[in-house]
Amino acid sequence: MVKEELKTEYMTINMGPQHPSTHGVIRFVIKTDGEIIHHCEPDVGYLHRSIEKIAELMPWQSFIPYTDRVDYVAAMNANWSYCMAVEKLAGIEVPERAEYLRVIVSELNRISSHLVAIGAADMDMGAYTPFIHALRERESINDLLELICGARLTYNYMSLGGVRFDAPPLFKEKTLAFLDHFEPVHEQIHRLISDNHIFQKRFRKVAVVSADMAKKYNLVGPNLRGSGVKFDVRKDEPYSIYDQLDFDVPVGKGFEGVVGDCYDRYIVRAEEIRQSVRIIRQCFDKMPEGDIAAKVKRVLKPPAGHIYVRTETPRGDAGYFISCDGKTSPERVKIRTGSFTAMSIIPELAKGLFIADLVAVIGSFDIVAPELDR
Amino acid sequence: MGLGNYFKDIKAGLTSAFEGMSISLASLFVRPVTVQYPDVDVKSDEAMRENYNGPLRGMPDNYRGLLDVDLEICISCKLCEKACPIDCILIEDVKIDKKQIVGRNGKSTMKMKSPIQFDIDNSKCMFCGLCVDPCPTGAIVHTNEFEFNRSDRSQLISRFVKADDRAQLKVRGAEIAIEDAKAKAEKAAKKKAEAEAKAKEEEEASKDQSEAKGTKE
Amino acid sequence: MDILIQTIGDIINADLGSPLAAFIALLLVSLAILGFMSLTAGGLSFIERRVAGRMQSRIGPNRVGPQGILQFMADGLKCAQKEDLIPDGADRLLFKLAPVLCFIGVFGTFAVLPWGNGFFASELNVGLLYLMSVTSLVVIGMLMAGWSSNNKWSLLGGMRSAAQMVSYEIPVALSLLPVILLCGSLSFKELIGAQGAMPWDWNILNSPFTFISFFIFFLAALAEGNRTPFDIPEGESELVAGYCTEYSGLRFVFFFFAEWANLYVIGAVAAAVFLGGGHLPFGLESDIVSLLVFFAKSFFMVFIIIWLRWTLPRFRVDQMMTLCWKTLIPLSFVMLFGQAITLLIYHELTFLQSIVSLVLFAICVLVGVKFVSRVLVNIKEQKYKMMHTLTGS
Ligand code: SF4
Ligand code: SF4
Repeated sequence: MVKEELKTEYMTINMGPQHPSTHGVIRFVIKTDGEIIHHCEPDVGYLHRSIEKIAELMPWQSFIPYTDRVDYVAAMNANWSYCMAVEKLAGIEVPERAEYLRVIVSELNRISSHLVAIGAADMDMGAYTPFIHALRERESINDLLELICGARLTYNYMSLGGVRFDAPPLFKEKTLAFLDHFEPVHEQIHRLISDNHIFQKRFRKVAVVSADMAKKYNLVGPNLRGSGVKFDVRKDEPYSIYDQLDFDVPVGKGFEGVVGDCYDRYIVRAEEIRQSVRIIRQCFDKMPEGDIAAKVKRVLKPPAGHIYVRTETPRGDAGYFISCDGKTSPERVKIRTGSFTAMSIIPELAKGLFIADLVAVIGSFDIVAPELDR
Repeated sequence: MGLGNYFKDIKAGLTSAFEGMSISLASLFVRPVTVQYPDVDVKSDEAMRENYNGPLRGMPDNYRGLLDVDLEICISCKLCEKACPIDCILIEDVKIDKKQIVGRNGKSTMKMKSPIQFDIDNSKCMFCGLCVDPCPTGAIVHTNEFEFNRSDRSQLISRFVKADDRAQLKVRGAEIAIEDAKAKAEKAAKKKAEAEAKAKEEEEASKDQSEAKGTKE
Repeated sequence: MDILIQTIGDIINADLGSPLAAFIALLLVSLAILGFMSLTAGGLSFIERRVAGRMQSRIGPNRVGPQGILQFMADGLKCAQKEDLIPDGADRLLFKLAPVLCFIGVFGTFAVLPWGNGFFASELNVGLLYLMSVTSLVVIGMLMAGWSSNNKWSLLGGMRSAAQMVSYEIPVALSLLPVILLCGSLSFKELIGAQGAMPWDWNILNSPFTFISFFIFFLAALAEGNRTPFDIPEGESELVAGYCTEYSGLRFVFFFFAEWANLYVIGAVAAAVFLGGGHLPFGLESDIVSLLVFFAKSFFMVFIIIWLRWTLPRFRVDQMMTLCWKTLIPLSFVMLFGQAITLLIYHELTFLQSIVSLVLFAICVLVGVKFVSRVLVNIKEQKYKMMHTLTGS
């Protein structure tokens, strides 16, 4: 009789580029033993549009609409990072009212972005209703942003030296009314899903990122804070008027789980939404009258040199490096985004997880494909 | 797993599901937020007030929809063409009879040229509004038109100059060009004549001088 | 429909001499059931989508027919027109067989399902047992579908469904046992007959043990029917569409047909076994009324299933197994023994039963009141109270 040996081998599965829970077009090549992942290799670049290269062909102002496309879930913040970099480079003073408007729209945008992040994580866990409830609230924020800048997603609201439109009449009232409505509903969404026992079981103690590991992999933003590291560019290297505003930096405390698990990253976002609401209210209290934009020459020629500016976008510390040779367009623009670093940690985390957990991990890191690939 | 944990698990599961179900049932009784778009005229304030509870009513004033150009006041300075990041504006122009126009912003300007071709490729346009900002007369503006499904890609290009207008402008432009050329030639001839006259005078003057010198000597 | 079944049932019972006549009669019964099943499945698909829509603050399908009620027909027609794709490398025979098996598994259960108090397509004295055995055909169908599609996601889905349904059959059966113990029969007719009209006469409120058994049954039946929070074999966000990833056209419809019909089956079994069938108090009971009452109860259960689906997230594969083997099965054993002991006690102290039932009923009412108050609070929170005073764009 021929002695047959039982032979087993890993199954290679392509998760993506067309997969419901990869939030865009990302591909993971996973080797699994049944449901358990042994090896996971992210494959990025499906959404690469060479935005950084396009910048080199553009006059300084004309690149702003492209930054909308870097991270279309939080386009205001991307706008702002770029504008701030160029303003610093060219030495443009931004009027105070413009700064306040910028903070308001960016924080509104941060709320909407986090709502998407939370909702998408819920949907990955199979709960559709909280996702749609979150998007329902986001719709109102889109309305507000449309009121102020005329577009719902790719805002192109900021210009070098300020913002392009002043707040329309009733904008303040409408925003405050919305916040009054939003706060309890936001809590309700969390009662619906974040407190749900099944959901917590799916997220707690899964894919734990320790503080050391988070720093080693250079995680940023809520992902870093989820690991218990209290770092927020708005607080630690304040730009614009953030030093005059009063807000807390939430960190993951291991809410009944381990510090740095998926649930921490998730709940930090929820807490940040509450802080953003606080910031917006303060801004409306303090906002002065005045100009909304500094005068900037149409053909801008900043002095030669380079600059690196970091801002706190919803997906973390976004860095814009601009090198300028004194011409009418940048010599080189390099954009550093939070999703990319988050992506690099996934292979290590994925080992030994279930396929269903990988979905949770992607959801909890809030990876947005266009920001990842640019 | 201890027995305590076991019951805690069950209890947590039940209570959280209890609360969750009360919330999803609650939304069953709250009016849906959907606006039935083609049925409801989303541009109108009243229709939206009846059908939608969000912060937005109708269209905001600065809504960035399809672009529209008022050719009457466009002075064909091509600033918009230059500002557009993706070159979706194409302008060609001819000279016209000069006239004074008043822009949307109230400033009056002398209009000397007029476009004979002003095309905006809406399939490329990203409605960023960068072309609107530099326009000196406010000729190019966003409308609140957002429905631009067309059956053909070529229909997506808005051509603002009408064919017969273009023909007229072209003819007139050519005439003006000839007139201009004539005027220029005349001017040049005049200038030349003047210059010649001047040169002659100078020559004569220098001659006179030298003669005067000669007499002195 | 009920009249039809009744008359045909009568014909069969009145021993028809010729086998042909009996065959025709059987065929007619099955056709009637098929018709009912398709209508229910279609109607449920519509109801589910509308309810889901409203729970998510949207409207749901409302374009085809009045209020979109014909949507399921439009969908069915659309699917029928689709190309019937069989992936390259698929096991063609199994691939074609799988949806049929799933369908048969659910269709078979309708043979014993009660329709009100008096109507049965066939009155089997082992009705419950038959029902549970027939539904296990569905597992085979899903496993087949997953295996034969030659797609790794399908395979994972198929394996998951096999693991899930095989495990959850145990708690389903175990949680039905206390009731069987109580009524001493497996036949639906007697199970229904043993219950009374008022809520405290229902099996569910007989003792705390049947009460908990009901929840175990309900959860395990959800898992059997692949419904959230146990929709792991389909797990849209994980496995694309699980075992039916590669299916298109009518075959795909068959799967969903089976799923929605299964919903009704769960509801009907729960209504018949635990919720008192079609009884109505105050002498209002008649055959037709009992039919309506029974439908109302079944569809209420179905509504709860739908409602749960649009509330809860889904379990992970291992948690689902843990829940089954470490929570539900031990618990249902405890319930079984508890019920056995309770029966002994009730036998001695007959008055105790009505007291326990009434207390349980009171608890239910209290929980219901609490629930309604929570719902009211949530409605108030969710309502837009904002922009009515602010006008202008
Ligand atoms: S809106 Fe932007 S993209 Fe469109 S034509 Fe104007 S500048 Fe170009
Ligand atoms: S910038 Fe205004 S005036 Fe100049 S060409 Fe464009 S539309 Fe005409």
